[in-house]
Amino acid sequence: MAVTRFPVPEESRRTSFVGMVMALASWTMLFVALFFAYAVLRLRASAWPPDGLAPLPKALPALNTLVLLGSSILLHFGSRPEAEAKRGALRRALLGTLALGSLFLALQLAVWVPLWRSGFRIDTGTYGSIFYGLTVFHALHVLAGLVALAVLLPGAFSGTYTSGRASAVRLSAMFWHFVDAVWVVMFVAVYLV
Amino acid sequence: MGDATMSKPVPVRHLHVGPEFHAEQHIHPEPTSFLSRYVFSKDHKVIAKQFLWYGLFFLVMGGVMAMMIRWQIAFPGTAFPVLGQLLWPQSGGVMPPQSYAAFFTMHGTLMIFFAITPILIGAFGNLLIPLMIGARDMAFPTLNLMSFWTNVLAGLCMIVSFFVPMGPAAGGWQSYPTLSTLVGSPGHGQTLWILGIFLTGSASIMGAVNYITTVVRLRAPGMGYFQMPLSVWGIWLTAILNALFVPVLAAGVLLLFLDRVFGSHFFLAGASITKGGGDPVLYQHLFWIFGHPEVYILILPAWGIVSDLLSFFSRKPAFGYKATALSMSVITLLSMVVYGHHMFVVGMSPLLSQGFMTLTMLISIPSAVFFLNWLGTMWRGSIRFATPMLFSLGVVFVFGLGGLTGLHLGAISSDIYLHDSYFVIGHFHLTMAASVLLGAFAAIYFWFPKMFGKMMNETLGKWHFWLTIIPITIVFCGMLVVGYAGMQRRLYNYEAYEFLKHLHPINVWITRAALLLGASQFLFVGNFLSSLISGKKAAENPWEVGTLEWTIPSPPPHHNYDEIPVVLHGPHEFNNPAVTGKDWLAQDEPIGDEPVALGAVGN
Amino acid sequence: MHQWPFSWLTTVDVSRDGWRAEALFWYTTLLCVIAFALVTFALVYSSWKYRARPGVKALYTHGTDRKSFAVTGILAALVFVTIDMNLVRVSQADVKEYTYNWPVSPDTVRIEVMPQQWAWNIRYAGPDGVFNTADDVVTLNEMRVPVGRPVMLNLKAKDVIHSFYIPNFRLKQDANPGYVTRTWFQALQPGNFEIACSQMCGWAHYKMKGDLIVEPEADFERWMKEAEGDAKRRFDPADREQLWGWEWVQ
Ligand code: HEM
Ligand SMILES: [Cu+2]
Ligand SMILES: [Cu+2]
Repeated sequence: MAVTRFPVPEESRRTSFVGMVMALASWTMLFVALFFAYAVLRLRASAWPPDGLAPLPKALPALNTLVLLGSSILLHFGSRPEAEAKRGALRRALLGTLALGSLFLALQLAVWVPLWRSGFRIDTGTYGSIFYGLTVFHALHVLAGLVALAVLLPGAFSGTYTSGRASAVRLSAMFWHFVDAVWVVMFVAVYLV
Repeated sequence: MGDATMSKPVPVRHLHVGPEFHAEQHIHPEPTSFLSRYVFSKDHKVIAKQFLWYGLFFLVMGGVMAMMIRWQIAFPGTAFPVLGQLLWPQSGGVMPPQSYAAFFTMHGTLMIFFAITPILIGAFGNLLIPLMIGARDMAFPTLNLMSFWTNVLAGLCMIVSFFVPMGPAAGGWQSYPTLSTLVGSPGHGQTLWILGIFLTGSASIMGAVNYITTVVRLRAPGMGYFQMPLSVWGIWLTAILNALFVPVLAAGVLLLFLDRVFGSHFFLAGASITKGGGDPVLYQHLFWIFGHPEVYILILPAWGIVSDLLSFFSRKPAFGYKATALSMSVITLLSMVVYGHHMFVVGMSPLLSQGFMTLTMLISIPSAVFFLNWLGTMWRGSIRFATPMLFSLGVVFVFGLGGLTGLHLGAISSDIYLHDSYFVIGHFHLTMAASVLLGAFAAIYFWFPKMFGKMMNETLGKWHFWLTIIPITIVFCGMLVVGYAGMQRRLYNYEAYEFLKHLHPINVWITRAALLLGASQFLFVGNFLSSLISGKKAAENPWEVGTLEWTIPSPPPHHNYDEIPVVLHGPHEFNNPAVTGKDWLAQDEPIGDEPVALGAVGN
Repeated sequence: MHQWPFSWLTTVDVSRDGWRAEALFWYTTLLCVIAFALVTFALVYSSWKYRARPGVKALYTHGTDRKSFAVTGILAALVFVTIDMNLVRVSQADVKEYTYNWPVSPDTVRIEVMPQQWAWNIRYAGPDGVFNTADDVVTLNEMRVPVGRPVMLNLKAKDVIHSFYIPNFRLKQDANPGYVTRTWFQALQPGNFEIACSQMCGWAHYKMKGDLIVEPEADFERWMKEAEGDAKRRFDPADREQLWGWEWVQ
């Protein structure tokens, strides 16, 4: 009765897709809860930023937003089945994304370090707690995303993914887009409004 | 009622078949090394057993702690037999107040996250989902393995916390700040608690993602959602709640961790001692956004299991099957929007409080529906009182008590008096301790033959049932009584208060019943172990029921199904008039020589 | 005064509004007992009536016909309307008439309460009516109030969350670090009653006790006069621990 209606890889590709969607839904709730905490603390505060604290820098983080968005676009086009099948395209997209992701982390450091040096720390009231808590936690996700993409590199070079249907590529890309989307919300919520 | 269906047998072969036809489920060769077979196994049946042992271990630990808590309440100043002397030799075996706080905190934590969750969700979720939907394993066997071992790490954090200076967490299982921050809890116990919760939460999410995907993707051909046994429904809904709400708890304890370790101010605020504009009540919101769904996370698998078992042993299709599945789903949805009923005395805005009260009351509607369906299932049945059935009836009984006392706590003006009293303790133990525990016992007695290939002893099982249901009712109803009398929860010595002194006799009786309850669990342990070693060999289908797991050998082979079954009927086709010679019908069994309609399979 | 079943179990209710909690409690209990009796009866009756007997087959029905649907639906709706909606109605009235209906009359006694591990700091505003000034009357673990006048509390915790609980008044309100919560009550008869903490606040939570002394108006005024005299004498601006209190939140 074992009727084969799809090529096997397609089946398990769909299954892992469903799993990843659930995992990301779960992850989304984590960030929703963190943003909820932020909203509550902010609504309770009489002034934001609290008196005596300078507003956060905007230029670098804005640039950083572009960096991440650029990486997502790159990865998206590089990991589409048609492109994935061509070794070169996938390789270029992965390398480009890794570079842009690392640039993002470097620029984040460039935001954090001067602020920290200027005396604005995680224990500088709820403002500091929120700022460092959210952005560092997000940066850890970027790091995890980078690792997930880096793991694909050897395969991309040796041509493991030329079928164009590899779950590993698709799932890592999904995670990367998710982390980017969270950043866009975070950028708006933490730096802009 | 039902006459129409009597005269015209339901056509049973029209079942909807989804597009997914599981060609991906290869038969993997059975692992051969000891490690890959029994320790780092990816076989859902082995992982189910691991979770079962793991959960039972913590159940014993949490249970002994409960006995000691009750001992202190009823017989303050006396040593708990044997263990007291070992644990607190410096006080002559008497539990000091610091340990009391640590013990009720860890009792609650261990019972919820490390006993009930592993047994019902970890063990039975793992065992039942693939077997009951006709799959060869979970969708992600490696994730399954990781889920278990992450849980073990979490358990280790909790156990290690007993041995650090100043002991384990002692701020209640909710660990409200600012008591759980450095202001109220110096020492590493609370930090380890956070770590343990974070890890066990991650493990729950891994499990949940796996369960949901498995149900969505790996149902056998013909197994539509409404052909799934209700046990699978319950576990599936639980998995959805786990996936969506455990992250909220994770966020809460993450912020708590930052406050403790990195000095942030999320929850720190105070009139004078603590500075900072943080908000301790924010944690309560996060906690209960998770916490209310959590009580359904615990009870939904038990509801599903009981719904199935009532039908199995009444030899009658589950009454209003769809309505039961849908009411469980509605409750799942409602459970996301009622959490504020835990915070009526926190000082929330009146408008919010009233909104939460009204939403809470809505839960009565779906609850009433499946209670009626349970009773409807038994109505005009032909009931066999095997041990699993007794425990299922026990669940209906204690959950009735627990659910109804929820009304007292859902209404603002009575809750203001009852909040944080023993009434709450009685209520939630009836709903999520007693009924879930009885549900777990029902499940163990019922699926033990499938898991281990041996039968458990029925006589001992029945004794175990009666010696459990009677004391458990006394214990928790007694708690309702002293709660109504005004006794707060978490009191090391309630006789410090004049207004509680007269409750002494009641408290002594509660403790006696609790000790009896504890003692009668030896019947279970003995039965379990001796059946494991020398129980009667179990046939393929000893209970004569039709769900898929009973169509394969006990215990099932490594890959469960030689051939993926094609499902033709619902899970409860008892006494179908078209069937002759027996009163049950396997889900994949054609009636007579009716042809298997494979042509119907497809989009 | 009201008479409730099993009154020997509970403390005497000496408050104007404690009956609300009791009334709702017993009303709910009555409905629950009826519902639970019905369920238990059905459970026991069908267990006995439909036990397996040789030759008797179970009925083959899925309970999906219209009639079963209607019966289930109607019963569930009935439960909701007769039990739940009733409780909501009563409770909404209580909330409106009492819980959040803050006393505004000029004779209201205003008290600030700042619990800490493990004691109750209590503060009256003194003659100037302003809190945290030199003439405040400050007590520890002892709250005095007059019979018959509304008493309104502002609570804020010093260290961890506590909960102000007076069983004889069927009243409970959390005190949180960081912001003020409110509650109010009115005593109907004099006497000495216990203040308890009902929120886990550390290992000595169980003995975080206070006294609530309800006295006739005249006694209360006499005590207050004396205490106000003392207060000025005892005030020491160098003792920072004593400098607490906040702007009144009505
Ligand atoms: C069956 C035997 C059990 C007995 C006799 C028992 C007894 C107790 C007692 C005496 C307390 C302390 C009440 C207090 O002073 O505040 C308590 C607390 C608690 N129990 Fe149990 N319990 C049992 C099973 C369970 C189970 C199976 C669960 C899990 C669902 C559970 C969950 C809890 C929780 C969450 C608390 C609250 C801990 C806290 O206050 O932080 N109990 N139990
Ligand atoms: Cu709740
Ligand atoms: Cu306290």
